[in-house]
Amino acid sequence: MGVYDSGRGGKGSYAIGCYAAYVITLLVFIAIGLFYMFSGRGSEFDVGWVLESISSYTWACIGIAIAISFSVLGAAWGMFITGASIVGAGVKAPRIKTKNLVSVIFCEAVAIYGIIIAIILVQNIDDTTPEDWLDNYNTYIFNGYCLFFAGLLTGMCNLACGICVGIVGSGAALADAQNGELFVRILVIEIFGSAIGLFGVIIAVLLGNNRKISSS
Amino acid sequence: MAAALTALAPAYSPFFGCMGAASAIIFSSLGAAYGTAKSGVGISAMAIMKPDLIMKSIIPVVMAGILAIYGLVVAALIAQGLDEAPTYDLYDGFCDFAAGLSVGFCGVAAGFAIGVVGDAGVRGTAQQPKLFVGMVLILIFGEVLGLYGLIIALILNTAH
Repeated sequence: MGVYDSGRGGKGSYAIGCYAAYVITLLVFIAIGLFYMFSGRGSEFDVGWVLESISSYTWACIGIAIAISFSVLGAAWGMFITGASIVGAGVKAPRIKTKNLVSVIFCEAVAIYGIIIAIILVQNIDDTTPEDWLDNYNTYIFNGYCLFFAGLLTGMCNLACGICVGIVGSGAALADAQNGELFVRILVIEIFGSAIGLFGVIIAVLLGNNRKISSS
Repeated sequence: MAAALTALAPAYSPFFGCMGAASAIIFSSLGAAYGTAKSGVGISAMAIMKPDLIMKSIIPVVMAGILAIYGLVVAALIAQGLDEAPTYDLYDGFCDFAAGLSVGFCGVAAGFAIGVVGDAGVRGTAQQPKLFVGMVLILIFGEVLGLYGLIIALILNTAH
């Protein structure tokens, strides 16, 4: 360990740092709430006011951004996990390189799910007039929440799916390098993995389809 | 004019219902992904020595996929029941939020259990075939944890 010792003071220091950050943030919020409560202004610490004041456009657009960015993150993460194994195992068994591109394509499909949902969600947003907001206040607020969570769940499900497919693809490449018949059977596991991203797409369409924030 | 909002049915009530639907599918997908990936690594490792056992060893992967289906069912039920503010009040919102969290976190837990047991189980079964039945029994107990979450989620979702 000598030369490679980081000298930061032990293996747990990063974990302790993260834990301390969470605890301090939580304590700050609790302290702010207590300050409000003990000065008789408890009703002003209003979570519901925050939820309603954040514009529906903010909710919708951040949802769309999370949908595409986290899906692509999952796809990329899976691709580098499986790609490193394909290239590494291919040193001694170059025959695997073409067949194992299928694993990379499964990861690409995860990114495609993200872009499909992002495009579906974007169609819902358009200009509104102030009179329209008065008439349809409840509907627009509701639609904003739906678009946010549709995007969020797509991004997170595809992140999990992409990493899963990447890990299984890596195992498939290494097994394929040993014995060429194994790849197709381990591909079955990758199909189960990519079904996870598909479930996310299904719920995102259920939640986010036709939730319009527009006057036209 | 928009329908009248009350203190028990404020405009942000659907936020919690939507969060429930999202939590249901997100967390159960996390559990299913972990179970699939961890078991998949074990299967890839043991397939080199015992290729004929691969199809029997898909069982942990299938059981992890079922967890994602539990989350899908609850998320679909919640999403179908969502509506805008006074029709969908805070009671509905929080019931659906709790339903989503219960199936979601139970799915994560069950997915972790199925993944670790599946990985160790398929590697052990390759070396000692009599272990197969034991592995399946342990996997079933892990799967049932996700089922408990689904039961509570359905009770909560149908409570309003």
